[in-house]
Amino acid sequence: MAAQRQASSASQTPHLSPAELSYLYTSLSLPKTPIRPDGRSTTQFRPLTAESNILPGTNGSARIGFADGTQAVVGVKAEVEKTTVAADTLDARGLFQQQESPAAAAGDREAQEGLGSAAVSGHGSWVQMSIEIPGFRDDDALPVFLSEMLRESLVGAVSGSGGEDMAGGLKGRLVINKRWHWRLYIDVLLLSQPLSYPLPLLSLTTHLALLSTKLPKLKSQGEEDPLFDDDWAAAQYLYPRSAPGSTAPVTTSQQVRPPVTLLVISVADNVIFDPTREEIAVADAVLAISVARDGGHDGLKLLSIRTIDPPSRLTQPGVPNSENVNMLANATSVDDSAAGGATAVNLATGDEEVSGVWRPRRGGAKRSVLARMVKTVLRKGGVGEEVLEGLEGVEVE
Amino acid sequence: MASATANAPPSLSLPPSQFARLQPHAYLLAHLSPPPASNQPSIRANGRAPSQFRVTSANAGSLTHTNGSAVVRIGDTAAVCGVRAEILHTDDIASWSVSESSTAASTAKHQHLADLSDHPTKENKDVDQDSDAADDEDRAHVQGLNLLVPNLSLSTGCAPGFTPGAPPSALAQSLSHQILSLLHSTRLVRADDLRIWYQPPNLGPEDIEPHNEDEQMDVDADQSGSAENRQPREIKAFWVLYIDVMIISLAGNPFDAAWASVLAALRDTKLPKAWWDVDNEMVLCSDDLTQAYGLSLRGLPVASSFCVFEADAAAGWRAVVIPDAGEQKKGSQSRWILADPDGYEEGLGQERACVVVDKDNDGKGKTVIVKMEKHGGWTVDSADLRQLVDISAKRWDDMKRILDQC
Amino acid sequence: MTDRRRINGPPGGTRPAVYASLLQSATGAADRAQRQRQPTDLRKIFLKTGLIPSASGSSYLEFEPSASLAAARANPKSLIPPSSALKLACTVHGPKPLPRSATFSPNLVLTTHVKYAPFAARRRKGHIRDASERDLGVHLETALRGAIIAERWPKSGLDITLTIIEAEDDRWWGDAPDSHDASWGMMNVLAGCITAASAALADAHIDCLDLVSGGVAALVSEDMTGSSGPPRLVLDTDPAEHRSIVSACVVAYMPARDEITELWLKGDSSKAALEDDDKRPGHEALIDGAVDAARGAHTVLGQAVRESIARTVGSA
Repeated sequence: MAAQRQASSASQTPHLSPAELSYLYTSLSLPKTPIRPDGRSTTQFRPLTAESNILPGTNGSARIGFADGTQAVVGVKAEVEKTTVAADTLDARGLFQQQESPAAAAGDREAQEGLGSAAVSGHGSWVQMSIEIPGFRDDDALPVFLSEMLRESLVGAVSGSGGEDMAGGLKGRLVINKRWHWRLYIDVLLLSQPLSYPLPLLSLTTHLALLSTKLPKLKSQGEEDPLFDDDWAAAQYLYPRSAPGSTAPVTTSQQVRPPVTLLVISVADNVIFDPTREEIAVADAVLAISVARDGGHDGLKLLSIRTIDPPSRLTQPGVPNSENVNMLANATSVDDSAAGGATAVNLATGDEEVSGVWRPRRGGAKRSVLARMVKTVLRKGGVGEEVLEGLEGVEVE
Repeated sequence: MASATANAPPSLSLPPSQFARLQPHAYLLAHLSPPPASNQPSIRANGRAPSQFRVTSANAGSLTHTNGSAVVRIGDTAAVCGVRAEILHTDDIASWSVSESSTAASTAKHQHLADLSDHPTKENKDVDQDSDAADDEDRAHVQGLNLLVPNLSLSTGCAPGFTPGAPPSALAQSLSHQILSLLHSTRLVRADDLRIWYQPPNLGPEDIEPHNEDEQMDVDADQSGSAENRQPREIKAFWVLYIDVMIISLAGNPFDAAWASVLAALRDTKLPKAWWDVDNEMVLCSDDLTQAYGLSLRGLPVASSFCVFEADAAAGWRAVVIPDAGEQKKGSQSRWILADPDGYEEGLGQERACVVVDKDNDGKGKTVIVKMEKHGGWTVDSADLRQLVDISAKRWDDMKRILDQC
Repeated sequence: MTDRRRINGPPGGTRPAVYASLLQSATGAADRAQRQRQPTDLRKIFLKTGLIPSASGSSYLEFEPSASLAAARANPKSLIPPSSALKLACTVHGPKPLPRSATFSPNLVLTTHVKYAPFAARRRKGHIRDASERDLGVHLETALRGAIIAERWPKSGLDITLTIIEAEDDRWWGDAPDSHDASWGMMNVLAGCITAASAALADAHIDCLDLVSGGVAALVSEDMTGSSGPPRLVLDTDPAEHRSIVSACVVAYMPARDEITELWLKGDSSKAALEDDDKRPGHEALIDGAVDAARGAHTVLGQAVRESIARTVGSA
């Protein structure tokens, strides 16, 4: 029960004392040059090791490990499936596709054209995602929230003009022909108890696994039942890659890439990336920002933003000296009236900030703060691009 | 309220609301048996007479995504019921055999109905009011195939005791089953309304099967032989009614409210005209509202629940709270049967009674007891039960008026 | 596995009705729903508190049916509703002591629970909460926790339960669930949940920083050719009224502090067509739009809370 309660908050709150929280907050909120406990700069990520194609039984897979020992493994499996678009109660058009009814065959042109759209542009439910985190049931709030978040940006990433292959984004890529499509199973495994909010780790690993995902080459044509080339070497990448020889940055920046979801926190005026558990515990606001690169668009595209409940709201408040009973006892002995006066003021104002005394965060974030956080991610040459480039650099093969 | 303060001894200067919480039993008793001197009528703590029901209101057809829906409020208890109809193909019924469908078709009565199938609602009433065979068949279909699926949910935050997200509580399960068994025992819904027929076309010129016109079926496409003049009709599918009741607010007597909402929602239910489409091998429906038909329900069973409040159980308290109890005891009433108990009263009595009555001929005929249930004690005798039936009959008139208006 | 605690339907399963008109033409004969409101016009909200006396706080919220639905109700022709309007009930139970087994909490422990009635949406919902309902619960919890002054109730729990009696559609029913198959209707539901829960919290006399209200804005491209036209900003969208929603955003907003406690934005907001002198990036315009919608909901919320307080003062 306790675990379930905390699940929705941005990971278990570390047991830091109010004094420690206050110290951490002050050092992270230093204007311009915040001091992070591990000495990183605001935009620096923790060192990680990554490898892809580690599972031979999958279409694509990846493993990423953080230096603190947390690891995630992602496997992507693809299966061919018959397209039935009767996902909607009222949508009977899928029936035509399914059973080639005489009416449709007889040339009911109108119906034929009407049914095309769903089959061509794909369906979000073709991408299935499951996240397993030790210590959580798969219907707990955290895994559900995480998988919805990752899936949402993945299927939502519709590119305008990302070349012939990627028209319609990932969903479009899964279409084989009008009657058949790929179904993608993305299984995400966190190998140890999450030490920090596992979102960045899971997102990066998923990204890498999708980058390495290959689909067998289609041999059949048009509306035939699909037939595939069994030569694995001829298989095509789900997300087309540039030829091994040409590593010109221009081509990579124009290719469609799977989205990454970054965890960003704000502390006072600072925007900090890849926060550790301790850092999240004092954050004013926590955002998960999904970005992707799509072909036509220069730079990064924002796909989704979700606020995450900052665990700082659940921390224990510190007690200022003026309210501390022990201190009051001392104060009374020195000066009765002054101490009494001070307490009264504090009771009246209630949530007055006393510098150096930790108060759980309250309220939300200003719009300007949110805008700044998003801007830092999207900026040209900013963190988002840096991360994508870094992942691109991971050797696939 | 005034009587409460009058009864409470002056030493105990509590406001009535707190007294009600601390001594619920004595509080209610003081209301029901005011001292003879005060000349006050015996009245319940909520201001009602013992046989008085709470203000009831009903509103039907307000939910968009349902075939029929209703909201019923009885005092502070509110129930929302939505009826959704889905199709059960006979192919999906494991135990279904063709003979079963043709026996249904072979009875002369049904053959007759088939000809009139455009308006099954009107005809049914007169035709199978009596037929025992049809009744058995009704039961076999409606009950045997689970065509009615009522579920009641209390996990809506309607009262503090029910944790949302937890599996249905014992109370919710029992209420769901009570509704189901009452639906079955009253045979409220006719199986005929739920059947979707298919009449294989015959090639004769007199083929004027009404649903064929809409179907626009290509006669040439279907070569299934028609040696006889008229093929027996067969049942191709059934409508399954999912009847979901959400108790939005619970303040006692959930069953009456739930049942009333089910009744109102079923009266509001409209099923689309449906037919078997040979080309697509599936049931198709018409979205035309003028072709949709309402259910022809059998009667209007109205439930009335009662709760028994005993004074004796409080003897110990009375000695303390009402010092002159000893004299009062003689000749004074020792138990009350409270109609439509609210949450407060339900907590004070163990014995419950529930009477479901119906009246023939639109209220002019005799009263029929559809169900009678009493449990939890032994103070209610047969004379009382007779009285309860009378009260329930009166309640029937009220409920009919309310349901007719909604 | 069958659910033994509920009454289950036929074991073979049932299928929803399929309408013949859909087979004849792609979208049936019906006209598609069209938005009659101005882009910045909001739907009216009906919000009432205190309807559920056994809860410490409660509220009931209803959105005004959009023009197409109102017309269909006034003059019913088809069994297929053109769109639907949100209806939900919210109850607050507590603050109450945490169970003995729970770990110590210096703050009020909030539990949010969102459940659709089985008949709430076009597709029948199951009795067990699915992923989207749990997801909504998390969003709602984030939105409310920012507003509640939680340290005033240490070691206490607060249960907030929302029952969605009628949900909003994700798209027009005649449209194939294709490129905009995202659950846009869920965002409207979330906005309604936030506003209703806020009213119920006030009704339960839980101290909050401000009344937090929910608002939705979306970028829609109305062009007949699909998504090629530049998307416009529209407040309080009814997804059934738009051919293609490119991006949408829901916020939980506290006007007094000008703060956002919950933000959920999805879709591509980069191509927004704004005024010429408007230099905001698309996503900021979207957030501002959602905030404006939330401000609109806030006036209704304020009125409902005033009524709630008048009732409390009157009865005391």
